[in-house]
Amino acid sequence: MLLQAHDVGWQLGEVRILQRVNFTVEPGEFVALMGRNGAGKSSLLDLIAGLRRPTDGALSFDDRPLEYWSADDLARSISHLPQMVRADVAISAEELVLMGRYPHAMGWSESDDDRQAARLAMTRCGCFEFRDRRLSSLSGGERQRVLLAACLAQEPRLLLLDEPATFLDIDQQLQCFTMLREEAARGVACIAVTHDLNLALTFCSRLVVLAGKTVAADIPVTTAAEDTTWLSLFSPRLVVSRTPSGHPWVSYA
Amino acid sequence: MSRDRFARRWIIGSALAFVCAAVLLPLAGPAPLDMGRVWAGEEPDWSILVHLRVTRTLLGLFGGAALALAGSLFQSMLRDALATPYTLGVSTGASLGAVVSIALGWHVVAGMPGIWAGAFIGAAAVMVLIVLAAARQRHVSVMGLLLAGIATNSVCAALILLIHGLSGMANSFAISRWLIGSLDSIEQPALLAYIATVVLMAVVIIRQARQWNLLSVGDSWAATRGARVTPLLVAGYTSGSILTAATVALTGPIGFIGLVVPHVVRTRVSADDRVLMPCSFFLGGVLLASCDAIGRVILAPADVPAGAITALIGGPYLVWLVRHRI
Repeated sequence: MLLQAHDVGWQLGEVRILQRVNFTVEPGEFVALMGRNGAGKSSLLDLIAGLRRPTDGALSFDDRPLEYWSADDLARSISHLPQMVRADVAISAEELVLMGRYPHAMGWSESDDDRQAARLAMTRCGCFEFRDRRLSSLSGGERQRVLLAACLAQEPRLLLLDEPATFLDIDQQLQCFTMLREEAARGVACIAVTHDLNLALTFCSRLVVLAGKTVAADIPVTTAAEDTTWLSLFSPRLVVSRTPSGHPWVSYA
Repeated sequence: MSRDRFARRWIIGSALAFVCAAVLLPLAGPAPLDMGRVWAGEEPDWSILVHLRVTRTLLGLFGGAALALAGSLFQSMLRDALATPYTLGVSTGASLGAVVSIALGWHVVAGMPGIWAGAFIGAAAVMVLIVLAAARQRHVSVMGLLLAGIATNSVCAALILLIHGLSGMANSFAISRWLIGSLDSIEQPALLAYIATVVLMAVVIIRQARQWNLLSVGDSWAATRGARVTPLLVAGYTSGSILTAATVALTGPIGFIGLVVPHVVRTRVSADDRVLMPCSFFLGGVLLASCDAIGRVILAPADVPAGAITALIGGPYLVWLVRHRI
């Protein structure tokens, strides 16, 4: 078991955001973490990334409680792509990707191995050709690929992505999720927050839906078309049909 | 690879400029020096060069270096290209302390000039106050530091105005003069202690350059890449503030060095703090010491404060740079 959440709760001051969250993630799974605005998706991702400590319950990674992991140990295993990353830093794409190597090489400069890993990650994400361009000169889709490459350069076993495709055009969204599916096929576990139900149904292996401060549905994509109770957690106006190829597809009524 | 070589050339080049400035700038001044007499150790030429001009040049070099480095550090930490060593309130705290000591007529406190003692006390008080204000459940955020700093800045500035208004003619002139910022020759032990402080803080700050790079992208970006953000922010704030406070105590608040130098290096050389910080350090020193040398000769025998020269040169240059970049 790569990641386990046991009765996890989180409270910000007096406001309870999450309670009694239970789920596990295995290597190679591609989990879509969904829910309406304010359901606690980003908060849960932050808890898993170690950015915040749960106020109740326990999270463990690799069967070891998260609080026993040092910051750099954790950074060698878990990579987190925040929802908003500053775009106007005056550095090149390659320099940003090399930042992903920080937990692997804490000294003054990166080694040739680090450069190699960064290059490999950039090739995989299709952004090697703009390695020398400044981050501020890239389009939204190009920048997202560079950020993803920075996460992959970290060589994580668990990838956490907070709305990786939200500001991308359709084609870039498909490319982004295709890349993530490939990473999952390599054995990396991915948890991606997304609002796009069809992207999740097409690319992910499992849906985890947060509602009422906890996990309200946790189902494999293969059964998502049969049991449709999870749909009402989003809106009463959704129906599942099947595409001509037999894939489940959510449409609006 | 060529980017690395380019960066290395800039670091070495700016270090050489720093050394050249240390050797050449003491020669500039209102009174001409006879090098033969200096060589023979004859007065007054020997004393003018060694006791006045060399100490003053070194103070300018390390003061400028400290301010430019602190500026680049705060710009990375706060992710704000307009941050200066003064943004986080320490220098206004130091100024308030100095102004109080001028107004109360403290000449010597604990063996050092009253202005220095006042500035150190003011800076230390503000530093502690800001970290406490910014910390929430033992967690310090960039936003917290920034807000606490700005709030402290305006309170201290208001108190300075108040004291200024209440002081008599002589003190009021001394306060205005001090607030412009200028270099004066100081005693050698004080200068050595100051240089040691600056070098030590510079080593502490520049060693963590990769972590400042991470922070310049984002707090959680840095945290999930293995940096420990709260200790890092506190260390950066403390070391940057010590640099600023020590410099402000000796020279008054000299503007523009901490803004212009890192900005130029970032646009012309690199935004990587491993390059940006050492280059800013050396070039900041060269700029302030040069401005002071200009101020010594331009209206000789009158002495134009270095703070006025840096503002006169730095302001228009910054505008020119912005217009030509976009």
